[in-house]
Amino acid sequence: MAEPELLLDSNIRLWVVLPIVFITFLVGVIRHYVSILLQSDKKLTLEQVSDSQVLIRSRILRENGKYIPKQSFLMRKFYFNNQEDGFFKKTKRKVVPPSPMTDPSMLTDMMKGNVTNVLPMILIGGWINWTFSGFVTTKVPFPLTLRFKPMLQQGIELLSLDASWVSSASWYFLNVFGLRSMYSLILGQDNGADQSRIMQEQMSGAAMAMPADTNKAFKAEWEALELTDHQWALESVEEELMSRELDLDGMFSRELPTGIF
Amino acid sequence: MASVSEMYDVTWEEMRDKLRKWREDNHRNSEQIVDVAEELINEHASKLGDDIWIIYEQVMIAALDCSRDDLAWTCLQELKKQFPGSQRVKRLGGMRLEALEKYEEAGKQYDSILQEDPTNTAARKRKISILKAQGKNTDAIRELNEYLELFVGDQEAWHELSDLYINEHDYGKAAFCLEELMMTNPHNHLYCEQYAEVKYTQGGLENLELSRKYFAQALKLNNRNMRALFGLYMSASHIAASPKVNAAVKKANVKYAAWAANQINRAYQLAGRGTKENKCSVKAVEEMLESMQITMS
Repeated sequence: MAEPELLLDSNIRLWVVLPIVFITFLVGVIRHYVSILLQSDKKLTLEQVSDSQVLIRSRILRENGKYIPKQSFLMRKFYFNNQEDGFFKKTKRKVVPPSPMTDPSMLTDMMKGNVTNVLPMILIGGWINWTFSGFVTTKVPFPLTLRFKPMLQQGIELLSLDASWVSSASWYFLNVFGLRSMYSLILGQDNGADQSRIMQEQMSGAAMAMPADTNKAFKAEWEALELTDHQWALESVEEELMSRELDLDGMFSRELPTGIF
Repeated sequence: MASVSEMYDVTWEEMRDKLRKWREDNHRNSEQIVDVAEELINEHASKLGDDIWIIYEQVMIAALDCSRDDLAWTCLQELKKQFPGSQRVKRLGGMRLEALEKYEEAGKQYDSILQEDPTNTAARKRKISILKAQGKNTDAIRELNEYLELFVGDQEAWHELSDLYINEHDYGKAAFCLEELMMTNPHNHLYCEQYAEVKYTQGGLENLELSRKYFAQALKLNNRNMRALFGLYMSASHIAASPKVNAAVKKANVKYAAWAANQINRAYQLAGRGTKENKCSVKAVEEMLESMQITMS
């Protein structure tokens, strides 16, 4: 069953594999800078900033409440969760779900996102397919089923060829995803060339709560805070402290700082 | 007057790096900054590249501290040329007006920033500091409270509010502010110590117990906090000396105070390693501790 290994022309390596890598990389870098140029300012309203900080404060109260006295913790918990006029109970924000149709700024954002990411990918993918067609480029190191053949071997009409041998278009797509870590290295985190991350965001953004959904966030915080109890971390701090001598090593050194440098 | 680089024999790169370190650590050593940066700007401006803008900002604030309006004006003009219409530069302009005590104009400047961008925290805080500079403490407290209702997460503001309350002797509210800081920074021994001091000042048995606990916590976080060590000793001795406590509590607190006194002695022994001046201070500490023991029992 073992098929004879195909020996590819080394010219393929020089003139196909490497150029595709370079092209993908450079296109990614260009996309990054273009996305910076096209970026529109995200204006936050005062209310949004305020609400996000309140949520952070409540979370900190839950996590670090054990460092303040019990009375203070209860006072704050009461302020947030009280039945009649606790902050989380009382505050209802107007929630406007920003659908792309009604909110013009989101529409332009989406369009820009599409233009900078999807369009170049399609264009370049098509061009590579047209230019580097008719031959096998590389072999993936794991065996694939025959179902993958029409997808990965576009342009090569050999029925008997192992599905592991792929064409240049698939090498291009492999590069698009593989060079993600290179982009992080060179352009820093959060770069505009990181296409798969953007696609992930687009998919999950539709499913997860939009930023205007503070009411749900408040409700979730209220529940979490209700469940939190106060375990004072300082119950036996004196005993812990006095179990050993203080570490005063190197506290008084002879050298004094002189001047600026 | 010799220049800084001649006095300390350093290159311009070292001066630039020193400025960066001061910037990152948020040092307020304005005179040193002015000395170092003035030379850097005058001699080596072209070599600094884009760093020069942030150095202008740093120097401008330092120059305002040292009443060097000439230097501040130069920096402001350069920044205005480079970043026209920037809110950050406008704020610096407002600070300069504050330094010249032109509070009305400074207030107008900050209002114009807030009109453009209501979420700008820097402009709001500068308006509050105008009130503080004019001595209107109660107004400053009121404005700061309103600010904190909007921006609950601003730790710098909580600390400022606690200072203002301490000045007004409203220790309960100051303690509240410090609790916020302790929650957001549980490993910072200085907040624990300051909270303990406020509780100690408030007085009353419960508050003394709390202060003793928080002094101990500060010591646990940083074994070398001498102020917390003395605080622990004083709060423990006060509780032990109070007539309202029962015998068990008294015994525990006497034990704590004795331990603290021991540690103080140890520290003083380590400090001088037996030199003549140190012997006097060690003796003074021992006498002080003994006298407190006598008043207690």
